[in-house]
Amino acid sequence: MSEARTIKVDYLARVEGEGALTVVVKDGVAQDVRLSIFEPPRFYEGFLRGRGFREVPDITARICGICPVAYQMSSCQAMEDALGWVVPEPLQRLRRLLYCGEWIESHALHMFMLHAPDFLGVQDVVALAELHPEWVKAALHIKKTGNELMRIVGGREIHPINVRVGGFYRAPRKAELAALLPDLESSLQEAQAALPWLATFDYPELERDWELVTLKHPEEYPFCRGNIVSSHGIDVPFSGFPDHFEERHMAHSNALHAVVKARGHYHTGPMARFNLCFDTLGEAAKASAAQVGLTVPCMNPFKSLLVRGVELIQALDEAVRIVADYRPPSEPFVEGPVHAGTGHGASEAPRGMLYHRYTIDDAGLITDAVIVPPTAQNQGTIEDDLRALAPQLATLPLEDATWRAEQAVRNYDPCISCATHFLKLRFEEAS
Amino acid sequence: MWVAGLGQVAAGDDGVGLRVIELLMQADLPEGVSLHRLADPVELVPLLGTGEAGVVVDAVLAAPPGVTRVLTEDELDPSPSAAVSSHGLSVLQAVRLARAIHPAVRPVTFVAIQIAAPTAHHHGLSPDVEAAALEAAALVLATAQAGGITTLRP
Repeated sequence: MSEARTIKVDYLARVEGEGALTVVVKDGVAQDVRLSIFEPPRFYEGFLRGRGFREVPDITARICGICPVAYQMSSCQAMEDALGWVVPEPLQRLRRLLYCGEWIESHALHMFMLHAPDFLGVQDVVALAELHPEWVKAALHIKKTGNELMRIVGGREIHPINVRVGGFYRAPRKAELAALLPDLESSLQEAQAALPWLATFDYPELERDWELVTLKHPEEYPFCRGNIVSSHGIDVPFSGFPDHFEERHMAHSNALHAVVKARGHYHTGPMARFNLCFDTLGEAAKASAAQVGLTVPCMNPFKSLLVRGVELIQALDEAVRIVADYRPPSEPFVEGPVHAGTGHGASEAPRGMLYHRYTIDDAGLITDAVIVPPTAQNQGTIEDDLRALAPQLATLPLEDATWRAEQAVRNYDPCISCATHFLKLRFEEAS
Repeated sequence: MWVAGLGQVAAGDDGVGLRVIELLMQADLPEGVSLHRLADPVELVPLLGTGEAGVVVDAVLAAPPGVTRVLTEDELDPSPSAAVSSHGLSVLQAVRLARAIHPAVRPVTFVAIQIAAPTAHHHGLSPDVEAAALEAAALVLATAQAGGITTLRP
């Protein structure tokens, strides 16, 4: 009788938040896979109750320091839906520009500083910089450009303070944004130059058959608008989310697992957007994808690094175009009557779809809140990927298998929360 | 010469690095000394890349609170757990990263002010740490006025 192999990572490094990983493999088959999120729940949905609807973008932005814009956009949309406020196109474009900033800084951070080290066999970005200083230098410049865009449009780089229900407190001046154009253009060139380098990495073989879920809009690559669609036939407005998806408690994790009702796990994030919305990518992003041979369908989770690279180019290219055409809106926000209602919002955080639902009373106070972040949606799929990877893990030396398993988790850029943590590995051979 | 303060103003004493910069902004600094309020150690990388001499002022978790120490790079904790965010770098990682990508990074001096672990979200410093901020600002100011950081080490 063969022995079972247990791969156990007590603290996952280079992911956001506190999580651990256990994979038990026997005869090339995964016996047990658990991505455990042991960071305590933070009860945002609970303490939002009783707060005014205008407070929601500032409160929910605090859920994450890496993707606060996603929380602000989804929450504002949900409140506007509840109140029937319609945000005009110029403000929608400004929101899109702010979202570009978040994608730029988040994708650059994950690709170069957190994920690329996995492919090159180095522990962290400092070691990567010793091997490839030119690319780390470029990545830092790209990230700084994204941060600067966040600062100009959002008021500050982390947890922006300029977002409100109905739009912005203040619209940036043309000159403020124009000053950033040279950096946006040079960052775009750096991202375009980096993609062929990233494509030279050795990508482990793994083909998956996920159900992919994303927002999809007929004319734009998804940020804030469109329908919720899936590769298995879902196509509904934001309000249809509760009809098709549900969250489940899992004993081994403090985060809920989201599933498609009656079907199960699904995948949201860059791979879903790229596969289902490829036709709405801009020409620059499409050309870069073609240059490195990246086509749809692409169902190898390790190639998410390249897909993020294409999305980074998309965000920079869009930001250049929005800034070049920018005219300050006549008013920075819209307002309307306040009344009781329920509203739904969804947007595409760098790491996947983020859904919000709120009910407010006639005074505009929140009586119910539901927030479904992308990492909760992807948790089950991460575990499924590890099960599919089990035959490979069984043949690798234990240290390499552990490395590969962690790399598979980082394919998702999971954002468990902002927290201090460190890596500590323990290996167990169980009979 | 540059002086960078690191910290988070909403985390009480963790904002002491920023408070020192605030105090130095009101001081009579010699020409050529630039002051920087930073929220993330990664922002040190371009400063270090200038090749100018620099001082980093930051809080450190140690007892008793309110003690100011001057440290060199070799005296910082190199463990990964010294990073405050999984999506960020520690101060030492930022310095090492800067050295890997910039050819002329000069040795950095760290003015470390001891604090207790912040446990609540609030603005403002405790009396001991506020006194240490005044002491640290005076130390940096005297050093800058003396012409550089070579005299900072006691």
